[in-house]
Amino acid sequence: MTDSKEKLIAELVNKGLDGDMDAVNACEDRMIRAKAKAMIVKVGKGTAERPPLPEAVSSVVSEVLPKETAPVEVNKNVNQKVKDMVENEFPGSTIDGDDFIQLYPQKWFEIASWLRKEESLFFDSLQCQMGVDIGEENLESRYNLHSMKHDHYVEIRIAVSRSSPKIPSVEQIWRIADWFERETYDMLGIEFVGHRDLRRILLPDDWEGWPLRKDYQEQETYHGIVVPKVKEGWE
Amino acid sequence: MGIVRGEEMVLNIGPQHPATHGVLRLQVKTDGEVVSQITPYMGYLHRCFEKHCENVTYEQVIPFTDRCDYLSSMSMNFGYVVAMEELMDIKVNERVEHIRVTMAELQRIASHLLCTGVFGLDLGAFTPFLWALRDRERILDLFELTCGARLLYNYMWVGGLSHDIPNGFVESTYEFLDYFEPKVDELENILAHNKILVERSADIGVMPKDVAISYGVTGPNLRASGVNWDLRKNDPYSIYDRFEFNVPVGEGIKGTVGDCWDRFYVRILEIRESVKIIRQALASMPKDGDVHQSLPKKLRPPKGSIYSRTETPRGDLGYYIESDGSPIPYRLKMRSPAFTALSVMDEIGAGWLLSDVLAILGSLDIVLGEIDR
Repeated sequence: MTDSKEKLIAELVNKGLDGDMDAVNACEDRMIRAKAKAMIVKVGKGTAERPPLPEAVSSVVSEVLPKETAPVEVNKNVNQKVKDMVENEFPGSTIDGDDFIQLYPQKWFEIASWLRKEESLFFDSLQCQMGVDIGEENLESRYNLHSMKHDHYVEIRIAVSRSSPKIPSVEQIWRIADWFERETYDMLGIEFVGHRDLRRILLPDDWEGWPLRKDYQEQETYHGIVVPKVKEGWE
Repeated sequence: MGIVRGEEMVLNIGPQHPATHGVLRLQVKTDGEVVSQITPYMGYLHRCFEKHCENVTYEQVIPFTDRCDYLSSMSMNFGYVVAMEELMDIKVNERVEHIRVTMAELQRIASHLLCTGVFGLDLGAFTPFLWALRDRERILDLFELTCGARLLYNYMWVGGLSHDIPNGFVESTYEFLDYFEPKVDELENILAHNKILVERSADIGVMPKDVAISYGVTGPNLRASGVNWDLRKNDPYSIYDRFEFNVPVGEGIKGTVGDCWDRFYVRILEIRESVKIIRQALASMPKDGDVHQSLPKKLRPPKGSIYSRTETPRGDLGYYIESDGSPIPYRLKMRSPAFTALSVMDEIGAGWLLSDVLAILGSLDIVLGEIDR
């Protein structure tokens, strides 16, 4: 066994004897954990002596490790920070969410232009826009924004009711939203208000229905061609 | 002298046209030879990828991803399994990671070879196309050796691979690389500095930085516009952070930064970087390790969603997976790089001659399977 492992075991045993068993259980190496636990039992029974606390290891751990691991722990996901900033700038526009920012649709265009322009955020790239039928009579549009300059990202979700799905278009802020929104309109029938060219993009113009809604029923025929049904349960 | 405007004519390029690289229809408004507006119409190859995904299990999605971008199926598999492994918190062993990177980079070379060859073909150079395909064929042979398929592999599985690499694969790959490296110089010499190709592509279809970012253009097209952005460097996935390689960016050697020639040349430079990565991956590949080791019995991701990106030969490939805890995806969205690249067509293509439009389209390197899904 190497020196460092022995030191680690000694440290864990000391922590365990002082009542901090969580530190022992948190150790990832199964062998070290087992050996440390075995020694704690032995010390408890009096069959072994309490190992001396290795000063060198603990001081090295506390001094060097935080510095080295700091760059790795940089969180590129800035949802919470941005959410607070949005709430500050546009009071009453956000809804509680954990890993994303949930917004009301009304002020989306203003918020989007602000996210694009604000120097400390500068979300210049719309990575992905997609729509999803979240059930309970609601459709949702999701935006994954990314900043090339600061290299951070957020996810924004906007839910609208199925009966009148209307969301302001951001096509003039990020130009790619033009085609993304057309695709979402094509598949889920979300209407993007202010879009200058809202047509179907992948399906034919005269196709009926919104295929990616969960209650979608295929049309029987299309220009006299029978539309094949999606089989229940894939073979 | 002012511009005399004549009567506008609407012209359809495609859906069946060799220069559209698939079934794509470009409706162009022309004034004489000058194009004033381009409207792409796609969907001819729409196979309901996302709708199908909501009816099959997570494993069964992988063969569908092959068929989206049929020229870089390995990279499409790779993106999907990376997303799934992140969602399910699966760690795969070192050997699997090394094999995956090797395959993905071989695929990048194959895809770029086809792109550069076809770009020459679009502009009237026939020989380089055959040279490129000859070398691409040897990569396809390596893939065939590994998994039996030449185009649609279904090779990378969530938590592992379908097969381990066969005996002699590493040697054959080294042999191929030794053969291939001088051939890249040959291809560059006959194509990149050819007077006709430079005249036809330099200063044509310039895509400025901000336009590229706003239109979500990624990959070699974005780098050709002078943006140093590569997910393998900037947001490393798998084990890309361990390898030494450069990210080539467009410098406007023959004309302006972000012109057709830059987009074409960046790909030639990237081929060389991929060769470097493959050599490193093969050298550090562990000898033992079961490729099925962390393969889960049943794929049942926890409830939640994930958006994960990887770098394919055509740019950022994103998978947005929404899981409701069942073995079938609730919603799966593919953000395909060629889709965003095609959307910029009107912006950078309008104002050029009709013959330049085909050069611009060729330099964007689109695959219709991925645009229509």
